[in-house]
Amino acid sequence: MRAGLSTIQQTLTPEAASVLNHSIAEASRRNHGQTTPLHVAATLLSSPSGYLRQACIKSHPNSSHPLQCRALELCFSVALERLPTAQNTSPGLDPPISNALMAALKRAQAHQRRGCPEQQQQPLLAVKVELEQLIISILDDPSVSRVMREASFSSPAVKATIEQSLNSAPSVTNSSPINLGFRPANRSLYMNPRLQQQQQSGCGMQSGQQRSDEVKRVIEILARTKKRNPVLVGESEPEMVVKEILTKIEKNELDGLLKNVEVIHLEKELTCDKSEIVSRLKDLGALIESKIGNNGGVVVDLGDLKWLVEQQLSFGAANSGAVQQQQQVVLEAVAEMGRLLARFGGGGRLWLIGTATCETYLRCQIYHSSMENDWDLQAVPIAAKAPLPGMFPRLGSNGILSSSVESLSPLKGFSTAAPRRISENLDPARRMTCCPQCMQNYEQELAKLAAERSSSEVKSEAARPPLPQWLHNAKAQDGDVKTVDQIPNKDHDLFWKQKSQELQKKWNETCLHLHPNFHQPSIGPERIVPSPISLTGLYNPNLLARQPFQPKLQLNRNLRDALQLNPSLVSSQPSERAASPPDSPVRTELVLGRPKVIESMPEKTHKDHVRDFLGCISSEPQNNVRELQSDKLPKTLDVDSFKRLLKGLMEKVWWQQDAASAVATTITQCKLGNGKRRGAGSKGDIWLLFTGPDIVGKKKMASALSELVSGANPIMISLGSRRDDGESNISFRGKTVLDKIGEAVRRNPSSVILLEDIDEADLLVRGSIKRAMERGRFADSHGREISLGNVIFILTANWLPDSLKFLSSGATTLDEKKLTSLATGGWQLKLTLSGKTANKRRASWLFDVERPTKPRKETGSGLSFDLNKIADVGEDKADGSHNSSDLTVDHEEEHAPNNRLLLSSPSTSPPSQELLNSVDNAIVFKPVDFSPIRRDVTNAITKKFSTIIGDVLSLEIPDEALEKIVGGVWLGRTGLEEWTEKVLVPSLHQLKLGLPTNASVTTDESTVVRLEPDDNTGCRSHGDFLPSSIRVAIDGL
Amino acid sequence: MGIVEAAHNITVMGSGEQVIVLAHGFGTDQSVWKHLVPHLVADYRVVMYDNMGAGTTNPEYFDFDRYSTLEGYAYDLLAIIEELQIESCIYVGHSVSAMIGAIASISRPDLFSKIVMISGSPRYLNDVDYYGGFEQEDLDELFNAMRSNYKAWCSGFAPLAVGGDMESVAVQEFSRTLFNMRPDIALSVAQIIFQSDMRHVLRLVTVPCHIIQSMKDLAVPVVISEYLHQHLGGDSIVEVMQSDGHLPQLSSPDNVIPVVLRHIRHNIAQ
Repeated sequence: MRAGLSTIQQTLTPEAASVLNHSIAEASRRNHGQTTPLHVAATLLSSPSGYLRQACIKSHPNSSHPLQCRALELCFSVALERLPTAQNTSPGLDPPISNALMAALKRAQAHQRRGCPEQQQQPLLAVKVELEQLIISILDDPSVSRVMREASFSSPAVKATIEQSLNSAPSVTNSSPINLGFRPANRSLYMNPRLQQQQQSGCGMQSGQQRSDEVKRVIEILARTKKRNPVLVGESEPEMVVKEILTKIEKNELDGLLKNVEVIHLEKELTCDKSEIVSRLKDLGALIESKIGNNGGVVVDLGDLKWLVEQQLSFGAANSGAVQQQQQVVLEAVAEMGRLLARFGGGGRLWLIGTATCETYLRCQIYHSSMENDWDLQAVPIAAKAPLPGMFPRLGSNGILSSSVESLSPLKGFSTAAPRRISENLDPARRMTCCPQCMQNYEQELAKLAAERSSSEVKSEAARPPLPQWLHNAKAQDGDVKTVDQIPNKDHDLFWKQKSQELQKKWNETCLHLHPNFHQPSIGPERIVPSPISLTGLYNPNLLARQPFQPKLQLNRNLRDALQLNPSLVSSQPSERAASPPDSPVRTELVLGRPKVIESMPEKTHKDHVRDFLGCISSEPQNNVRELQSDKLPKTLDVDSFKRLLKGLMEKVWWQQDAASAVATTITQCKLGNGKRRGAGSKGDIWLLFTGPDIVGKKKMASALSELVSGANPIMISLGSRRDDGESNISFRGKTVLDKIGEAVRRNPSSVILLEDIDEADLLVRGSIKRAMERGRFADSHGREISLGNVIFILTANWLPDSLKFLSSGATTLDEKKLTSLATGGWQLKLTLSGKTANKRRASWLFDVERPTKPRKETGSGLSFDLNKIADVGEDKADGSHNSSDLTVDHEEEHAPNNRLLLSSPSTSPPSQELLNSVDNAIVFKPVDFSPIRRDVTNAITKKFSTIIGDVLSLEIPDEALEKIVGGVWLGRTGLEEWTEKVLVPSLHQLKLGLPTNASVTTDESTVVRLEPDDNTGCRSHGDFLPSSIRVAIDGL
Repeated sequence: MGIVEAAHNITVMGSGEQVIVLAHGFGTDQSVWKHLVPHLVADYRVVMYDNMGAGTTNPEYFDFDRYSTLEGYAYDLLAIIEELQIESCIYVGHSVSAMIGAIASISRPDLFSKIVMISGSPRYLNDVDYYGGFEQEDLDELFNAMRSNYKAWCSGFAPLAVGGDMESVAVQEFSRTLFNMRPDIALSVAQIIFQSDMRHVLRLVTVPCHIIQSMKDLAVPVVISEYLHQHLGGDSIVEVMQSDGHLPQLSSPDNVIPVVLRHIRHNIAQ
């Protein structure tokens, strides 16, 4: 064995060999039978500035506090104690190398050889194993990594750290100012770290929140009587925290002890010249004295403590005399500061605050061993704002992190307060159902509780939760590691659990009282408490990065209300899917059948979008949930106003029932404050998108809504090329569309504004409208911003969802056209008595409509076709010049870009996704099917006729007349019922009066009453499409 | 929407294979492109974003360290391009963003098919054998003015930079976006920009550059365009327009937009 050892040692560099020797010596000292990798690891760790130690500190994702390393050391010493002692060793003989260690050494050798390719051909012995390789292979040893895990370190992570520093070739990571460190690199390398933090912490755990927790912790320390001078230990974050605290102090935002306290920044003064430090400190003493004398307090900002230990770094390099002198100065400075504190600190009016990296702090402890006590310091570890280990348990293939995270997860409950909160959320019984506001309050209280707990539990020395559990005990029991007892801690935990549950209950109740709206199922899905987001974070962090949160959140939100499932998205998804109709045909039917058709549309497309990105996540349940929600809606709304609205709308636009109910629902919902929340804060403006080809229906719906909501006619502004100048307000003439809108809003801050043909609007207009939706303010062409007040905006577009396309056909548009032309000519009706006409020829176009349910052969015809043709022509022209590479031709082309833009936007292009997403609701107006309307009109008239005249006579309405009436009803402002009551009924009465004399004659079955167009035109009432009276023309009258 | 997109208010418009990234300069935001964009959307996918620190971005995200050099912005640009999974783009940078694009293109030339620089300058400060247009005293004065009364400074600076009177729409627009910036951020950004010296990196730029410059520009003397042309590492072409001011695309769109479009559409002849 001895011989074997010497051979081995030849393969090691002197450094590595000495480590091995030390390990063997350690094993022999402990009287162990073998030298194991554990011994080597312990040896490597024991040197305070050792390589392994530093790597461990660096690799720890959570903190880099010295105590963490101490925990590691203790773990190793426990592990060593447990090793069997040698039974029959002859004294003086070193314990042999164990098989595991031998294997590790061989691994190291192999790695070393692989590491330097140019030496590959050299004899084995020429390759010496360097210390780093030795460490790496030791870390690979299962026993070592087990022990490290106990101390909440991850050997793969440490290994990765070392390997990274070995490959010190200038990778992008190193050259970029963004120190990726050991944070996960799942985000872009180039990304602003602040965004990264924001992102990684999800929205559930804002970095701001974390920092404010830290700030709070530090302020608590400042308020203590002992150990009240915080030194924030961490890699880069501490400065930020200190800065925040000092600003708070300077602005006098803090109450109690820290009021009227001034801050003196020492750092700037100290860095200049070391030799003058002591005298400066004395000056400082005088300054402090004067300030404290004025009944104030002083916080001395020490800055980074590295100046205390800098000299030691260059030890040996410079000439030792100067170095020693400098050391002397620093020592004196430390002593002087100690004296200052002794002098003023007693009164509690002098504080120190400083920052240090973990390394620096360790050095301070070594070189200025009494400083911690003399300066009354309290180390406060500041966690790097890397993702919290509990949050991403399955981060995936990301080497460093996944391994470190996995090994940490058993301890996550203890690592920091944040994962604890999340793990609580995982527990269904403890779930919070609060609005964000209450959630925040709850979290604050919880944090307070946590702080109390940790301080009471761990005492002042180790006031930090991130320590492993057993270490708390170890500390409490004077470091007697072997008698670790779980029980007191369990009690603590139980107590803690109870407390936090109480707190949660309290806030749940408070929230229920304060924000009842939030607990209604009809709530807008956007008001999401932070926690579900962290849950989705749990699900797949990439998801957060790649897509808008909305659909997932909706799902979550609704799950909670409607299904009461546990909040874990992952597990709830399958069950949800089982309950939902999974196939697309079914969905199509739903879409057709539901009143809120369009609602699912954007989401559907959105879903596709998501699927594109992720390929794995199905948001199938969404539609379903949405349906559930819409079913419940009317119940929870303000029922009266909803009914009133719906009734009013149905009266005027009875053929668009679905649309009317959707409009009424959305309006009521928005008025109740549950509309989509765009941007920050609440808003009064409502945005609706009416799509579909039924121009008349859309307009009428808008008019009816305007009448009901504001008691006035809507303001109509056409964004497209189609101008109905008769309708538009005269004062708008000669203004840009944006200014028109601005003007309208300014004048009528609570009106209904109809913006027609958004799909034809140019980009700028669309952009401003989009911004207006987001911000609640509208900027006109001069950049002046107008608050939108309580305006209801209605955007109209021609676009029809694909699923409804088959309803629309060329014939329908033709119908509309024809009806319009029929109804607009001045026309009158008369009632006549005549013989029955047999075999009345039916108007062919109406006959057509009799079969509306059969899908027609689709050909683009009618209006839209024409437009496209124009567009094509425009494109051709543009293309022609565009193809030319001749610069002069190209130049000419520039003169007509606007024209081209206008023409090339096809009239039926779908509204942009953004638009659909931003409006409060998009409501589809189905293409009008005239046969029911016709039937309705006929029925209404016949019904009136039979109630007034009786069954004696039958009524015949020739198609021509019916068309005119239908057209008049459809286009005009008078409702059908209104018209029958006001116009038809009096005429019928008049007819009845004239009838009795002829009654006997007319009972003949061949006689009928005809309601037919009257060519003897009287004057028609202007401004309406229906005749204001019907002439009764009966022979003999 | 990803955090990058949200933080930079990224707007993607239009359709087309080719991507155009429009980057605004100091004191403005993406609205500075409003006259240009309508001409691009038919043929290109147009990406606009706001630089961090612009009035429309969250000041919380403005990391004074990260943005203590122009590289910070260049990283932002690369992050955006990566986020949107753009493989190659035509980059149009105005003012400081011209340099930001150049820096980014040095690090990732694969992402840029060409760079259109509008009113860009590698260094604003005069030097031996270099005319940048400013003396250190001028700049100190400028910074002091910013520090003492930001609003007053804005209303004074805007007409100078735009090159019009206070009443003109462009000046009002620029002063609006300028004043939207948080004063301390604006000061920091201005200091970084005006004190920057990117002359040494120009030769590292290999992507073709189109240099567009106003005849009369308070911030960038016309000779700068020639300097850029001489010192850029790759192909470059210069066009000096008969326009006035540092924000020609805002102040005289009628003359400038055609020029910009021409440079976007056509490449430098070999």
